[in-house]
Amino acid sequence: MSLRTKILWLSLLVTFAAGVFYLRSLAGRILSELPLRADEAAKARLNEAVLQPGGGPSENVVLYFPALGERKLVAENRPIKWASTTDDRVRQVLLALAEGPHQALGHPLAASTNVRAVFLTLEGTAYVDFSSDLTKNTSPGIETECLAVYSIVDSITTNIPTVKRVKILIQGQEVETLEGHADLTEPIAPDPSLIRGGP
Amino acid sequence: MLWCGLVLLFWPARALRGDNFVFYFPSSRQLVPVEVIGNSKYLPLLQVLNLVGKLNGLQEKRNTLKVAFGKSHLEFHADDEEVRVDKKTMVLSAPVRVSDGRWMVPTDFVTSVVPDIVSVGVEYQAGANRIFLGDIMPGSFSVRLAPLSGGARLTFRFTEKVTVRTVSVNGKWIMYLGDHPIEPLEPSFRFQNPYVAEAQFDDQDGWPKLVITPSTAGLNFYSTLVEGGKVLLADVVKPSAPQAKAPPPPPPPAAAVSGPPPATPAPKASAAAAAPAAAPGPPLPIVALDAGHGGDDAGARSRDGLAEKDLAAQLVSRVRSALLSSGKYRVVLTRAGDINATFEQRTVAANVAGAVLFLSFHAGNLGGNSPRVALYTYQPPSPAAPPAGDEAKPGLTAWDQIQEAYLERSRQLAQNLMQRFTQISGLSVDAPTAAPLRVLRSVNSPAVAIEVGSLTLESDAGALASAAFQEELSAAVAEVLAVLPGGGGEATR
Repeated sequence: MSLRTKILWLSLLVTFAAGVFYLRSLAGRILSELPLRADEAAKARLNEAVLQPGGGPSENVVLYFPALGERKLVAENRPIKWASTTDDRVRQVLLALAEGPHQALGHPLAASTNVRAVFLTLEGTAYVDFSSDLTKNTSPGIETECLAVYSIVDSITTNIPTVKRVKILIQGQEVETLEGHADLTEPIAPDPSLIRGGP
Repeated sequence: MLWCGLVLLFWPARALRGDNFVFYFPSSRQLVPVEVIGNSKYLPLLQVLNLVGKLNGLQEKRNTLKVAFGKSHLEFHADDEEVRVDKKTMVLSAPVRVSDGRWMVPTDFVTSVVPDIVSVGVEYQAGANRIFLGDIMPGSFSVRLAPLSGGARLTFRFTEKVTVRTVSVNGKWIMYLGDHPIEPLEPSFRFQNPYVAEAQFDDQDGWPKLVITPSTAGLNFYSTLVEGGKVLLADVVKPSAPQAKAPPPPPPPAAAVSGPPPATPAPKASAAAAAPAAAPGPPLPIVALDAGHGGDDAGARSRDGLAEKDLAAQLVSRVRSALLSSGKYRVVLTRAGDINATFEQRTVAANVAGAVLFLSFHAGNLGGNSPRVALYTYQPPSPAAPPAGDEAKPGLTAWDQIQEAYLERSRQLAQNLMQRFTQISGLSVDAPTAAPLRVLRSVNSPAVAIEVGSLTLESDAGALASAAFQEELSAAVAEVLAVLPGGGGEATR
């Protein structure tokens, strides 16, 4: 093989390797940007649902917030103009929860939580897909985690009777727990015994 | 050929999980998992730096990492052996790597660079997976093997006093040597002897111990501490052979089923002399102790830095000691050391061992005053699932529903614990409640989760970190279990 041929082969090899590196980095960037775009789209839908409610009168919905130390959920009322579809109503309830309590109670959702998607089944299970910052800024622990989960579940099922159970997803994925405690592998039914003054 | 070459060229170096590197500090010890990349052992750089000092900042650009550490500035380049430490260039034994987004340094970074950038005294032995930082004087020991009538005697002469607790695992005898750090002159000693094949020192879980491997099966093992705890005599003899020296009176039985202690400080072993370990212990029931979280999942954290995983491990260690001292139970730990075991791994550890009770320890924000304890039993996430009844029924039970057969007995156990905890002065105790706890779901025995608090970033750990509180709580747990109906050898599921 002549020197010229060797140089030609070497140049081809270097060019090919550079191409492979470029494609790998391009693929990495595309894949990492996809979830962000999906989040933005979901956020836009959530805002749309909440900012453009139905034209009917306001109704009082009951939201449940954790009372740490008491191991109970405490009810607070909010006026909401219901959206027309059930999945948007689920979003409305969750957004109101994310805004936080008016009393000195716990925050079940971080204010920045994004509801990426809501799906309803005929059996009355609501699949709610949260962004990963659901537990951002919350103190980990069995009590805080369980109360946060039931705050979500009890608030949705109380106000939207067609929803019997709630299945929580994070970033589109099924997770075992939020932070190592409450079992999220199955849809969760409401627990009225946790409500202050409840059964 | 060309394709094969390119694939090999760009294939990422395979990272294998190896053993641990132990960092000994004056009042604690920390384990850092060693990864094998290529043919070299690596440690996660930032985890190491966080352990040995204060990270003031870092800047990552493409293949370069700049770290402000204490008063030093370090610069690393991926796939490069050279490390810049201020104006000095140091060469490591292998290139710095980036594995799964983590900067990894070869283990000799700890012994070559770390001594230059920390302000405390550093002691290490080249090639060993341990380092002593601060005011620590590790002990050491020498070994001698001598024949006995029908056996052999190993004499370990220590520079410091030790305590000994012996357990028998997989045909070997393990002698835990207390919590004083030890730097062996040699990691292992091999013998051409019909009774003893090897005596090996190990502290991969942070706890110094000797592992004695017999040359053949069916031998008995007796250990005795003499000369004020500085000399350990370990006799390996035929079962029929008379012992050269009468064995010491047997202390409480050691755990035959027992994982190594967790990687956090534990109470000192109180036994001055070890028990004969060859004879199998009585068939005591087993309690599974589960320290929540672990590894990269630290759980909750206090303002002064106490992590839930470490607090849980400390409590488990103390409860374990208290239970073993009671002589009523053996103990199985669901996680060995500072690892993040999955829920299934924890459950399997308990169920396969045939544990008759399961206790999971956690810490978190309980609100209100501290210290406080909350107790939880299992509650299915959805009551629509058909209940399995109070007792296990014949036939197959779904793995993920098995705890439902023990709900009532779990509640009773939680009640008993609550009643005992209320006797602890200054401790607030919440009544037991049911919650859909993932860790309890598949446990095939009565199971309770114990959460202590409040461990939050808003306050210091306070009493939760104190040995006195932990001892009192652990003793209370052991007391409750010791008087359980059917406990202490009669407990059955």
